[in-house]
Amino acid sequence: MFNKILIANRGEIALRVLRACRTLGVEAVVAYSEPDRASLPVQLADEAICIGPSDARRSYLSAPAVISAAIVTGCDAIHPGYGFLSEDETFAEVVRAHDLTFIGPPPEVLDRFASKEGTRRLLGSYGLPTIPGSVGMLRDDEHALEEAARIGYPVLIKPSAGGGGKGMRMVRTPRELESAIKVCRSEAKSAFGDDSLYLEKWLDENRHVEVQVAVDRYGHGVHLGERDCSVQRRHQKILEEGPTPAMSPAARAELCERAIHAVVAAGYENVGTLEFLVDANGDPFFIEINCRIQVEHPVTEMLTGIDLVVTQIRIAAGEPLGLAQAEIQPRGHAIEFRINAEDPAHDFRPGAGTVQRYHAPGGPGIRMDSHLFPGYEVPPFYDSLLGKLIAWGPDRATAIERGRAALDELVVDGITTNVEIHKAILANDAFLEGRITTNLLDRVGSAAFLAAAARS
Amino acid sequence: MPEDPSAARARTDGDAVTRTGDASPGAPEGGDRVADLAGIDRLLDGLVPTLMAKVATLGVGELEVRQGDWRIRLRRPIGGPSQFGRRATDRPGQRIHPGHEGLGAPATPRPAPQGGSALGGGPATNGSGGPALAAVGPGHRADTAGQGDEPAELPSAHGPVATSPAVGVFQPGAKAVGGTRVQAGDRLGVVDMLGVPQDVLAPADGIVIGVIVEAGTAVEYGQDLVHIEASGAVGAR
Repeated sequence: MFNKILIANRGEIALRVLRACRTLGVEAVVAYSEPDRASLPVQLADEAICIGPSDARRSYLSAPAVISAAIVTGCDAIHPGYGFLSEDETFAEVVRAHDLTFIGPPPEVLDRFASKEGTRRLLGSYGLPTIPGSVGMLRDDEHALEEAARIGYPVLIKPSAGGGGKGMRMVRTPRELESAIKVCRSEAKSAFGDDSLYLEKWLDENRHVEVQVAVDRYGHGVHLGERDCSVQRRHQKILEEGPTPAMSPAARAELCERAIHAVVAAGYENVGTLEFLVDANGDPFFIEINCRIQVEHPVTEMLTGIDLVVTQIRIAAGEPLGLAQAEIQPRGHAIEFRINAEDPAHDFRPGAGTVQRYHAPGGPGIRMDSHLFPGYEVPPFYDSLLGKLIAWGPDRATAIERGRAALDELVVDGITTNVEIHKAILANDAFLEGRITTNLLDRVGSAAFLAAAARS
Repeated sequence: MPEDPSAARARTDGDAVTRTGDASPGAPEGGDRVADLAGIDRLLDGLVPTLMAKVATLGVGELEVRQGDWRIRLRRPIGGPSQFGRRATDRPGQRIHPGHEGLGAPATPRPAPQGGSALGGGPATNGSGGPALAAVGPGHRADTAGQGDEPAELPSAHGPVATSPAVGVFQPGAKAVGGTRVQAGDRLGVVDMLGVPQDVLAPADGIVIGVIVEAGTAVEYGQDLVHIEASGAVGAR
């Protein structure tokens, strides 16, 4: 096991990793940017070190700053959290060149899965059903138009790098494709420093289902069930749950089995998530793999009782998984609500400000992962995630009831949050009946969605 | 129910005075420790408030006083104190003298350095080892109580300070010597970040009055490195 880990992230995930380090008895140093000096992970850390100014490119995204911080504080491993440098194979390579361990897949594994388009073909060759799409990256507009015509509209333009919905556009006509492709290229370039794009067939009524896997260095892997992330707004997940209400237990088991078989065969290592679109017939299509710990990992932790961050650190330290598939028995149902500093009344405009009062809900099956505290100033420089409220119950109905009560109990004064959208979702028939699709919020419009919930 | 904000502040101010566990050469051991603790108490009760007032009224950036085996150094933070160097032994649960938490908050009517003032210092015999007295905690939170005071007052009361441009290892240059006249933009040294030197620049014209960090020390981004007395500052007050 490592002696000391540098946590190169902020907010709730820095806190989450810090807690995992405590569990493992490993010292942790939190690397932070200037505006995060007073943040909770910095306060609770064994040590903290300022690595740069508010601009993430000079702090959380600066490989030299992060690695230098790890060296001067005597760390032997770096946990990148999610976002920032978490899936950057060049960073992982440089970390290793400095005799440090990157907590995540080794650089060559990250490299193998770096291209989303290439990964789709790789895992397809190991028996995963994949979404129809372009072969290779789009060279130019002409190539894009040819490929789109071959796949059939509507198509989704996607950047090869990154995630979080940036640089993604769904288009229904060649004309839309031509104009959207420029926007996507520039968004992808600025967000990920890479403007390569590819196309995927767009399924209008689809559900987003993802399989959590964990594979150790010795090729032993297990799946930890799936999560359903169909509640989205403009390709951003806002609520996740498990198990998925979209598939039968037999179909879920088969999907998870095929997923773990394919990634182990393809040489994956560490925790990861395989994302699928599930069409109206319940047929899954692989779209991409996330080589990191994900925001919604607590859903799986609540279902399985397994600490995924601890598992991730153990695997990176070279420990065998020590878990057989039969030992993993997901229980009940869990729902995660992302609490964001966003104003649903104003098109989810992100906000900042000072938390005046904060109260995290409690009770059976309730978990709150958040870095908030009264007096905390939410800086305007980073993403809007304030925390995650997770509700577990022995069945979906109980999880929903507990979630509803917990959302009512949550107090975050001083910052406008998106809590109202969660309450509206829990009042929505499509959600309650387990048939929400990824396009529902955008099709109905968030304002209309909120208004409908208010009437009911 | 929601926590009382003042309770949270007391926790987050974190200005407890702590001793690091790594016994530096001059650090007293065993029975001396009790005497030490009593000594710290005396320092905190008597000397520190006086020093804080002095720092505020003299307009200097740093003040050091020796008493017995103890040396206490008070330094005004710029834009919040440095956090680097906080050690495992500084965890809240291991702090001693919790009653002194919030020391940096303006408890006295006199102007005082705010929020987690970087209480440096160490055994008189050890200038380079870990500080025996170290302020821990971000301290920045204390600012919420008196927002506006610090930014308004500090720049005038505090000489310019060259800060670290990066996280790495500090190497002072030829001009980082007390008494040297420097101009804004002069290179006072470098911080080596993964083998790439990043220049430490003088923020203003003036005279170097002290190098805070020794050569070869690991520093964080924004850490105070070299104090300068600005030209014209003398006599202006």
